[in-house]
Amino acid sequence: MAGLRICVPLGALLPGSVEVLEAAGVDVAPLRDAGRRLILESPTGTTFITTRPSDVPTYVESGAADLGIVGKDVLRERDPDVYEILDLGFGGCRMVYATREGVDPTPAALEHLGVVRVATKYPVSATRHFTATGRQAEVVKVNGSVELAPLVGLAHGIVDLVATGRTLRENGLVEREEIFASSARLIVNRVSQTLRAEELDELVARMRGAGS
Amino acid sequence: MSESGSGRPAVTAAALPSGGKDVLAVEARELRGVEAALRGRFQAFGYREVMTPVLEFADVVERAQEGRLRDTFRLFDGDGRVLVLRPDLTIPVARLVATRMADHPGPVRVSYLARAFRPPAPGRPRPSEQRQAGIELVGEGGPGADAEALGLLADSLRATGLEGLRVGVGDVSLTAAVLDGLGVAPSVRDDLSAALAARNFVEWRRLAALALPDGPGADLLRDLPSLRGGREVLARIASEVPAAAAACERLGRILDLLAAHGAADAVILDLGVLRDWSYYSGIVFEAYAPGVGAPIAMGGRYDGLGARFGRDRPAVGFAITLDLLHQALLAAGPAPEPARTGLVLTGGLDADLPAAAVLRSAGVAVVALSDGSPDAGALADAEGWRWVARRSGAGWAVTDRVTGAERECSRLEDVAAWRD
Repeated sequence: MAGLRICVPLGALLPGSVEVLEAAGVDVAPLRDAGRRLILESPTGTTFITTRPSDVPTYVESGAADLGIVGKDVLRERDPDVYEILDLGFGGCRMVYATREGVDPTPAALEHLGVVRVATKYPVSATRHFTATGRQAEVVKVNGSVELAPLVGLAHGIVDLVATGRTLRENGLVEREEIFASSARLIVNRVSQTLRAEELDELVARMRGAGS
Repeated sequence: MSESGSGRPAVTAAALPSGGKDVLAVEARELRGVEAALRGRFQAFGYREVMTPVLEFADVVERAQEGRLRDTFRLFDGDGRVLVLRPDLTIPVARLVATRMADHPGPVRVSYLARAFRPPAPGRPRPSEQRQAGIELVGEGGPGADAEALGLLADSLRATGLEGLRVGVGDVSLTAAVLDGLGVAPSVRDDLSAALAARNFVEWRRLAALALPDGPGADLLRDLPSLRGGREVLARIASEVPAAAAACERLGRILDLLAAHGAADAVILDLGVLRDWSYYSGIVFEAYAPGVGAPIAMGGRYDGLGARFGRDRPAVGFAITLDLLHQALLAAGPAPEPARTGLVLTGGLDADLPAAAVLRSAGVAVVALSDGSPDAGALADAEGWRWVARRSGAGWAVTDRVTGAERECSRLEDVAAWRD
């Protein structure tokens, strides 16, 4: 049988992913000089598929990749039908609710309008958070520069992922509520988990050993 | 579109509701071939086919499995009662066996080949209609029944030509015995169950570490859903948790019997397979094949299901999703092209209808065209018929579309003898 197909996220989680795979003994040389190619094969037979982070669960869920590395934030948003096997420990960040600094406009919005308007790239997580806390929210999906929304009156606040909080501060926003903490996870396709059990168990054991 | 002006919604002729799919002749033929292979093996084990209505009362589904209604198509009957399109066949067949076959001496062996319906999930390609083939063995609670269900699953899947099959087997009663034996509190158990249902092993390990930080069994509890393999898994559990020894022994017995069924190599113990703990009562299994990202079959033991319909009998069964099985077969290689046969007869629809009838009774399919039709060859090639024929003098001119050879014959039914 051919080697494992690993889906790796481009962007912030890429360096950590390469590191953790290498520590587990995977030949990651092709990933280091990927250039513009999206599919990379190592001489040992491993295939790397590089995609946007939010597409990683899609590839793994469908079986186009056997396993993948992805942030918990994406898993919460997509809720894919895959095994979540390991917390890889890197890529730490938090999903937070933030508004403009000064007086928090949320209580007033809820009191006078009945709803608070929230801009986010993560509508599922945002909706779930406000529902779980018993508040009505109008969730507005935006695709980038979420920090803009409260500054121009599009929304009262935002739900977004923060690592250091610097972007929030620079835009005059402050964190009001933490929704959950996120880190990189190893996910495995339902079928591969059993069909490739031996290879995967070995790799997971090595990743667990390397991580702790 | 111009139609929108007239107030009618613009639905193009080719549009189907989300999750719907037409099946054309080639795919239908292949699916029927797969069905025939499965049905043959079900019959060989003495399973008799039953059929249930597509519509069931919503109460029936809810009575069988709490929360199941969320994932169904619902509608109302004339009295305002809620109906559902059956979301699977296990529940209707359990209802049928418990009510219509309550007096059957047992054990009851029934099979089905039918369609089940689920609403499409947003953002995910999921057919709203699934062809399922499956069996239920009711009234037999021993490991022999579990082994027969697993053995027949492997046997019938292999009869379709499937290779690389693997069946992951877990056991609710074993996992429950381990949690009991390690003294895990019931409240934690619900959370563990939820983590397993979500396939979230990270959460399972976190909960396990909280419930049993160290001491004997701590490692076992943490690793439990990741445990896979053969007898060594059972040996480890039995030695660390004596309270689970009986459950391990039972699973070991099933493995022995599976070896006798010739299915031992297809089966792997996998304690991470468990899903709904309240529905299943013993073994739970999923079948996987290379090239398909989801299980092609699922099943298990649900001893409590019959009682919910008024007849308490143990039951084990499985359902194969035919479309996924077909996908797996195609992933392994192109489907074999059936040998071309059949004859397109120009004039068979009118002037030469009697000759068509004679050839049909000789066992050759005849596609009839009206006298003077120009396109017999094109039709034969489009649909895969072997010969085209037309009257020629006192006899027939027959062309073989495979070899291109042209032959004359005095009696059209002679073609029947040409079959190879």
